[in-house]
Amino acid sequence: MTKFLKPTGLVLVMMWLAATAVLADSHVYKLYVDGLACPFCAYGVEKKVGGLDGVEKIDIDIDGGVVLVTLADGATLDEAAAKQAVDEAGFTLRKFEAPNKE
Amino acid sequence: MSRRRPLSTRSVRFAALLAAGMVAMANPGAAHNPIFTPGPHVVYGGGLEVTIGYTRDRARGAGDRETGQEVELEFEYGLTADWTAELELPFVTKDLNDDGSSGLGDIVLRSRYRFLRLDTPGVQRAAAVLGQVKLPTGDDGRTPRLGSGSTDFVGGLLYGHESRRWYYNLAARYRLNTEGAGGLEKGDRQFLDIVGGVRPALTGYLEPDTVVFLELNWENAGRDRLNGAAVADTGGWELFLSPGIFATYRNVALRTGVQIPIAHGLDGAQPESAYRFKFEIKYTF
Repeated sequence: MTKFLKPTGLVLVMMWLAATAVLADSHVYKLYVDGLACPFCAYGVEKKVGGLDGVEKIDIDIDGGVVLVTLADGATLDEAAAKQAVDEAGFTLRKFEAPNKE
Repeated sequence: MSRRRPLSTRSVRFAALLAAGMVAMANPGAAHNPIFTPGPHVVYGGGLEVTIGYTRDRARGAGDRETGQEVELEFEYGLTADWTAELELPFVTKDLNDDGSSGLGDIVLRSRYRFLRLDTPGVQRAAAVLGQVKLPTGDDGRTPRLGSGSTDFVGGLLYGHESRRWYYNLAARYRLNTEGAGGLEKGDRQFLDIVGGVRPALTGYLEPDTVVFLELNWENAGRDRLNGAAVADTGGWELFLSPGIFATYRNVALRTGVQIPIAHGLDGAQPESAYRFKFEIKYTF
């Protein structure tokens, strides 16, 4: 019985973790931004993209030129709005990746 | 009502030097622009950048010892992502041998338009035009004068290449001076700047970041004119080597540097620049 429960429990935990990750990712948009070279300049991205409706969090990876945008539950990010915000920050949106909805 | 004194050759020279220092150090400094060279980068659309700066310059020679200090408050607003409006309020203290004066200097209105922006992953190349007007708000009736008494104009072309590791900048400016206090018209000036910069450590967004710059600043001045006649011992050129540092954390920046004269071709006997020092704190809202 114990032999059966241990692997089953492990599988359940892993499934829960995976589900959590999928749910979390379902609110994260990935913006590939060209022209990002310095942290000080990236502040404009934080202000302009972070000011869009529903945005809860911004993570900026300058080396990768990637901006991760986390939205609140039920909110969505339009590519045109993201492009405009990035442009107003003084950069260029090269690629827009919406989260995979399960 | 300020008391006006007749212009002496010495005060003409000092006014010219003061103007040279002020325009050279009045650098529209947004984003990662170099310390003494105006760059093409602008604050983001709708953004406001506030700068408090301190500059100090000294010149010696021809029997004079001149020291200028300036505390300036500067506002830069992003009208769009590529166009800024800027206001510079200087409070100056000037010493010429045994005389000294202090107060509001000449207010500067400035605008930059970035007409070219080429973005690739991790690299931004940009070019901008610069327009600037210096208003005669400084008291020109004191000794030394706090302002030139003239309305002067600056136009410039600015280029910048900014990558994660390296920075390159080029700038060319022309300053058109008009007749100021006492019938003095300072010679027009030309400025050429070449800059290289490096970021020694590649840091992330919410980490302290530092860029080191080395600038070569060339300035040339035409002969001053007093009531239409050319003034002796004015005009000529100076070349500066200017190391500087730009340190930032998120939306706060510290900028500092010093201009060291390495060559000159000044006409006649006139004071030569000894150094120009600059320190700024910036905050972007």
